[in-house]
Amino acid sequence: MFTRNRWGSRVEFGVFVLPAVVCILLSAIVPFVMSMYYSMTKWNGVGKHIKFIGLKNFRELLTSDTNALKALIFTLEYTLLAVVLTNVIAILLAVLMTKAFKLRGLYRVSFFVPYIISLIIIGFVWKFMFTKGFDVLYAQTGWSIFQWSWLGNAHLAFWSILFVGIWQSVGFYMMIYITGLQSVPGDLLEAASIDGCVGLNRFFRITLPLLMPSITVALFLSIANSLKVFDIIYTLTFGGPGGATNSITMDIYNEAFVNNRFGYATAKSLVFVVLILVITVIQVRFTKSKEVEA
Amino acid sequence: MTHRNQRRFDVILEIVIAILALLFLYPLFLVVFNSFKTYDQVLTNILALPKSLMLDNYKQVWTLMGYPKLFVNTFFLTLAGVAGIVVFGSMAGYKLSRTKTKLSGFLFFLCIMPMMIPFQSFMITLTKLAKTFHLINSLGGLGVIYWGLGAPLAVFMFHGFVKSLPMELEESGAIDGASRYGVFVRIVFPVMLPVISTVIILNVMWIWNDFLLPLLMLNGKQSTLQLASYKFFGQYKSEWQYALTAVVYTSIPPIAVFLVLQKYIIKGMVAGAVKG
Repeated sequence: MFTRNRWGSRVEFGVFVLPAVVCILLSAIVPFVMSMYYSMTKWNGVGKHIKFIGLKNFRELLTSDTNALKALIFTLEYTLLAVVLTNVIAILLAVLMTKAFKLRGLYRVSFFVPYIISLIIIGFVWKFMFTKGFDVLYAQTGWSIFQWSWLGNAHLAFWSILFVGIWQSVGFYMMIYITGLQSVPGDLLEAASIDGCVGLNRFFRITLPLLMPSITVALFLSIANSLKVFDIIYTLTFGGPGGATNSITMDIYNEAFVNNRFGYATAKSLVFVVLILVITVIQVRFTKSKEVEA
Repeated sequence: MTHRNQRRFDVILEIVIAILALLFLYPLFLVVFNSFKTYDQVLTNILALPKSLMLDNYKQVWTLMGYPKLFVNTFFLTLAGVAGIVVFGSMAGYKLSRTKTKLSGFLFFLCIMPMMIPFQSFMITLTKLAKTFHLINSLGGLGVIYWGLGAPLAVFMFHGFVKSLPMELEESGAIDGASRYGVFVRIVFPVMLPVISTVIILNVMWIWNDFLLPLLMLNGKQSTLQLASYKFFGQYKSEWQYALTAVVYTSIPPIAVFLVLQKYIIKGMVAGAVKG
């Protein structure tokens, strides 16, 4: 259609495409490429002195950084538990929420609400609960579980963060599964019932395999988000006590903005990217292979 | 199970779910209750219902926190960020989808590549780059950075949507004598409304609630609601009644919008997740 004038269409292409391309270059691509260079330098982030040291940062990270190793173990444990528990609970809730309850809409919204509040606020609300709220609950019930130091004890703090992480996001994954369940054809379920396949049997043999596309998406998102857990730790424990809840992202943040080792922190963040990519690619390949056609 | 038993079971199940939902939201109710109490009342029993709708905390925090200014700041930051993402994202997504050249394919790849790169891996160098371009310590600069960070998903979604639109749509506009740009503004843009609303919802929720990027970019006079509430919690960490009131103030805008537009928001967020 608009081929009257070659220059006109080139200018038009530029006018449409360049603003987005320039912005993306500025905010993401160029910083990412710069990261690759800075990961091979020694630099404090402020000074003019930037020293090129080759792969030394990576060697240090892979051989002698016990903090990073601890953060890696914490993050992997957190991710594994958060992903499994969040998705199992979300599927359970989704199945319940497709039943014809009177106030179904209200329940769905209730579970979803924490997801629209910022993580910083969520962290603070739970800090309030774990400290003030539990004190009073202990005084009233006498249950020692409310007396435990949920944020001050290294072991318990892990479970506190896990709990808050699940509490905040489970409603969102529930919604993904509800959408998935709605696309499971009703006649298929009916046919299965007629053949005597009902209840749990029907759920595991028919519903769950057909839900696989939703599971692929939800697993991908929950794995990526759990690996990147930051805000709730920042407000709840700031990685403490004694580094027990230091996630990889907290470790990167501290290395850069507390220890002022920008070069080294960038090297860490690049290794972190590779880790996320490898884990999510494996997961998507695996769950995609399990998807079936209705 | 007989029919009657099944119905009784469903009623019991519904009661269990209702209790679960209440327990689930209990921490949020507690926050609201305690925001209406005095310091002493919070200390003696946080579980009790407030005796009256005392608004002293709300009046105090309104000025202590500087709420009106923070609200306006966050509002305009979100507005500017989302507007840029929608306008630039739709333009690029549309053109890249309609142009079948090598350059176009390469630029599309370049645009969506950041979707695979976690923010943490380049946030440090982004801070440095933003400093060079004087985008640091300014809300306007922060808005510009959001454009580039939000555009990849937007370009991806618009690109996918335009692929499913027939070419005849624009051709009819061309015959009617509309210019190249007129066709986009008057014909294509309105057709893209479903995607536009999804992109708006996803990005409003993200920018309004974002903490890490403002933490890195703003340092000093200008602040956002999330950043300021975090600082406020630190400052008033023993005066729970103030901190909790700040929680309510910061969360009310998104919750209010959510309650009004819940159907669209849930649909939009799920659609964004599935396509992203």
